[in-house]
Amino acid sequence: MTVSHTRLRVLFAFFAIASLLLAGKLAYWQTAMRAELLGPALGQVRSDEVVAARRGEIRDRNGAILATTVELRSLYAIPSRITDKPAAARHLGVLLGRDPRPILAKLESGLEWTFIHRRLPEATAEAIAALGVPGLGFETETARMYPNETIAAHLLGFVNDEGVGQYGVEAAYDDHLRGTPGRLVVERDSRDRALPVGLREAIPSRNGADLTLTIDLVIQTAAERELRLAMEREKATSGCIVVLDPADGSLLALASAPSFDPSAVAVTDLEVLRDRCVAWTYEPGSTMKGVTVAAALERGLVTPATSYNDVGFAIIGGRRLNNALGRAWGPTTVTQVLERSANAGAVFVGSKLGADRLHESLRTFGFGQRSGVDLSGEQSGSLRPLAEWYPVDVGTAAFGQGLTVTPLQLASAYAAFANGGVLHRPYVVASRRDADGEHRTAPVAVRRVISAETARTMRSMLTSTVDNGLAKNASLQAFSVAGKTGTAQIPDRSGSYESDEYISSFAGFAPAHDPRFVAVVVLERPQSRLLGTVTATSAFRGLALDALRTARVQPDRAP
Amino acid sequence: MISSLSLRPAALRARPSTRARASARSMATARAASRPATARRAPAAVRASRRERSHNVTWETRTFGVTALAIAAGFLLAVMYLGQITGVSANDYEMQRLEARRAELQRQSALLDVQLAKLETPARIEAQAGRLGLLRLSHVPVMSAQELAARK
Repeated sequence: MTVSHTRLRVLFAFFAIASLLLAGKLAYWQTAMRAELLGPALGQVRSDEVVAARRGEIRDRNGAILATTVELRSLYAIPSRITDKPAAARHLGVLLGRDPRPILAKLESGLEWTFIHRRLPEATAEAIAALGVPGLGFETETARMYPNETIAAHLLGFVNDEGVGQYGVEAAYDDHLRGTPGRLVVERDSRDRALPVGLREAIPSRNGADLTLTIDLVIQTAAERELRLAMEREKATSGCIVVLDPADGSLLALASAPSFDPSAVAVTDLEVLRDRCVAWTYEPGSTMKGVTVAAALERGLVTPATSYNDVGFAIIGGRRLNNALGRAWGPTTVTQVLERSANAGAVFVGSKLGADRLHESLRTFGFGQRSGVDLSGEQSGSLRPLAEWYPVDVGTAAFGQGLTVTPLQLASAYAAFANGGVLHRPYVVASRRDADGEHRTAPVAVRRVISAETARTMRSMLTSTVDNGLAKNASLQAFSVAGKTGTAQIPDRSGSYESDEYISSFAGFAPAHDPRFVAVVVLERPQSRLLGTVTATSAFRGLALDALRTARVQPDRAP
Repeated sequence: MISSLSLRPAALRARPSTRARASARSMATARAASRPATARRAPAAVRASRRERSHNVTWETRTFGVTALAIAAGFLLAVMYLGQITGVSANDYEMQRLEARRAELQRQSALLDVQLAKLETPARIEAQAGRLGLLRLSHVPVMSAQELAARK
């Protein structure tokens, strides 16, 4: 067979032109249109993801988990794939414990994709998965869990929806706990799997540091229990208990009421979030007499046996300051001033000190300034400058009026009596563990506020206050207890005091001569008014029993 | 890989030079002379026929053969490469599956840790003890070592 040369040439020319056209078009798409094509093409397969860092755990001093981050499953729906929507909504309503109507409304909303319920309990997620409803699926989301629920809620704080720590340790150590997120650029197939031989660029995330607190969960639980019982008994509006180790200022427990559940903060009142131990101030009342007496003892102005004649009141700066209930005690020693909580006696001791030395002592004990505890929102309390003091302020400050303190400041001051005279900076984080290793917190001794001898004398006087004085209810069967009650009036906005409304408190430690813990119990507006201190001392006693038992402290007294 | 195979030598080898052919013939004669008589079985006519057939293979046929061989080798290499890539992919997908499984187990382990912490909460244990009718001791008697020794 022969083919004409003309035909061959035509055919050749056709293919040549076609090839040139194709090559031209190919060159056009590969060069001029490269950027326009490359973007969408890469977008289809390439994913640029933020790799979240795990938020650090918070544990107590014995390793019990106080806060941790877990991944929970969230239920989503692709409504178009669900064939029987009413039945699906009904089943989900039963398993989620919710009204099925809003669920059905979501399924029939016409949305392409929607969350039905976020962060499900694992058992519920399993039950829903077992239904096998097409169009329902799960996506994991992180959730901050607090296994002890409301226990230590104020101390721990919480994490908001943006993953930022709020209040307490979560806020104070947010930078350490949060970690650094990473980044992953990877090419994925249609089933969202990373392509084995595709692009993979990763910057690994750096997990947050794990914190170990100085808190003892057993003592914390005992403090919360005693506070709850006291609040219920007294129908008090608020209350708190601070427990710390006097040896180094480490906090053993920090209970505040009313409390909240850190994992459901959206439903709580903002005032409930205030930590009454560190972010709330009050006039301490008679618990401050201990500080006044210690300052006078330290300067040798009085001894425990120094006496005065108590007539039921004292006049200072032209003002008459009465004892509680106006009672006159007659000849009274300084030790008995504490035992009887005599205001006139405190004025007597305060007068011996004078305004400047009393003011200086109060500053030295840390009042009117933040203690420096590693928690967010700490208040400093108020101690007016000496230049603003009236003559009567020497008397009122001597028994705890006209100045405000936080319960933590008061506990730190009493810890100085307990440990031999040194004021420590309170702290709550014992150590922090991150990729670089473990970082332990070194206790900080701020200053010596009284001599060891004065501290010893104070311990004896405060022990006598519990054994023979108004704080008798705080005594324990087999342990010596030292402490002082306080009943403070509540100032109103006009500058005077509210009538018949008080703040009852007790500050003490045990065993008295080798203290293992210091505790301050505060109840705001107890129903029993002046007798609120009895409830406060009861709370101290209940707490002390558990704390001493947990620490396996040998009794120092015959039962 | 295919480009590394050269076709030119095959075409050239089909037509050796006259000098080379003469040399080859003389060497063949010498080898034949040195062989034992029993080895010289093929008659001269058959040998001549073979030589002729060999000379009749055209360069197109040889080129085709070499090209086919090259294509086959390339195909074989491609198949081997694809097999290797498929293996890598399969292993990688398996690795991803195992990583996902490990992550899921770690997730469940963390959830179990939380559950355990909830069960160990002192508040829960106290509540359970209260439900069982257990009472809190107001005083725990502690004996000294001397007292213990005296009792023994």
